[in-house]
Amino acid sequence: MTNLSAQTHQSEDGGEGMSPADKGRRKFLVAAGWSVMGASMAGTAFAAYKYLFPPVLYEPPTVFKIGHVSVYGLGVDERWKLKGRFWVVRNMRGIYNMISICRHLGCTPNWFPDQKRFRCPCHGSIYDAHGNVRGGPAPRTLWRGQITRDPLDGELIVNTVIRLDPDPVQTPQGLWVKEKVKEVDPFYITHSAPGGASCASNRLLC
Amino acid sequence: MLQKIKNEIVESQIFKSVFRHGYPDNDLDRAYAIFSSVFLHVHPVKVRRSALRMRYTFCLGGITLFLFIVLSVTGIWLMFYYTPYTGLAYRNIKDLQFVIFGGNLMRDLHRFAAHGMVLFVWLHMTRVFLTGAYKAPREFNWIVGVVLLVNTLVLSWTGYLLPWDQLAYWAVTVGAKMASYTPLIGQNGPWGPQLGFLPTNDIMFMLLGGTVVGQNALIRFYVLHCVVLPLVVTVFLAVHFWRIRKDGFSGPL
Repeated sequence: MTNLSAQTHQSEDGGEGMSPADKGRRKFLVAAGWSVMGASMAGTAFAAYKYLFPPVLYEPPTVFKIGHVSVYGLGVDERWKLKGRFWVVRNMRGIYNMISICRHLGCTPNWFPDQKRFRCPCHGSIYDAHGNVRGGPAPRTLWRGQITRDPLDGELIVNTVIRLDPDPVQTPQGLWVKEKVKEVDPFYITHSAPGGASCASNRLLC
Repeated sequence: MLQKIKNEIVESQIFKSVFRHGYPDNDLDRAYAIFSSVFLHVHPVKVRRSALRMRYTFCLGGITLFLFIVLSVTGIWLMFYYTPYTGLAYRNIKDLQFVIFGGNLMRDLHRFAAHGMVLFVWLHMTRVFLTGAYKAPREFNWIVGVVLLVNTLVLSWTGYLLPWDQLAYWAVTVGAKMASYTPLIGQNGPWGPQLGFLPTNDIMFMLLGGTVVGQNALIRFYVLHCVVLPLVVTVFLAVHFWRIRKDGFSGPL
């Protein structure tokens, strides 16, 4: 409205001595002009916004076919860390994967098999094989990625974009999420333990 | 109510620090509006009615400036998707043309504005020549204009290479070859070989950063096209406009 009044105000005769019809016409033309202006600005803003979202990406894939369960032994497997940024973990009940992104500020933690811990080199967050926080500044437990079975050949498919992220509970050991909560479809594949395996080797896998 | 809100805004310190004068509905505030703005102060505070006559200048310099601004804006948009790397440059251009929303529009605008800028620089100089506006005291500004003409052409030429297609590659190969015929400092020019200039140390080598058009030439042309030459043009444009204000128009303005 200020624009309308400013426009009429600016015109040389100030609209004095005009017939009501002329004033109405002027008001209409000013409104029409500003509408066209606004529409073209809105269109430009929309096009500029859309331009910034490329429909084709040249990034690493986010879905991986990782082979049969039998390929993986008990414990943490690092073979996909470089290519897919996730770990495959097999325990006595089945198999899952965890995204190799530290929940503090996004660095990639390292797996120390002797300590059975993930340690982040950036700010020292420590996770166990379940992804629970055992120390450091991480505010949540590690993400688990979607894991499904290919209906055709039974191979496992990991999707690192669809992630499980339940709220953790503060315990004396650290931030905790019960395994029951995380071993759910489609983030867990139930499978019998490999032959000869027992809980004695690592109680974390039971 | 609306009036009260409007007064609150207009009376606020922030508003007054941006708009340092009253509403331009009188001669004094109109003058303030022009010369208290960095963008408007290149204009005279008062324009005579005769100065609005189109047929003396045809606004050719103004159109050239407008095209330069269009080129700067579309060029920045294109830079978001362009990589000056021989393995990616052509693919980036294809993506801009066929995948990115509005990418082809930006490319075409950039291309046609570039052609238009060369055309309008030429028309502008023709007009200046025909009206005798290059004569003293404006001979300095004519030289500034010639520098701007050369920069416009070099901008066109450096931009030509960036799509990294066959046309670009061979056009720049031919253009760079011409540099090798420069007297004294070119490998093929008069006295060049006698002075010890070889394909590895002459002016063409300096231009391309190599003996053929390759990665070094691509990044070199990219930096020239996107940073160095636009900066040079901007500085000379400022001098060009400043001289117009100092010398005045040559016509009956």
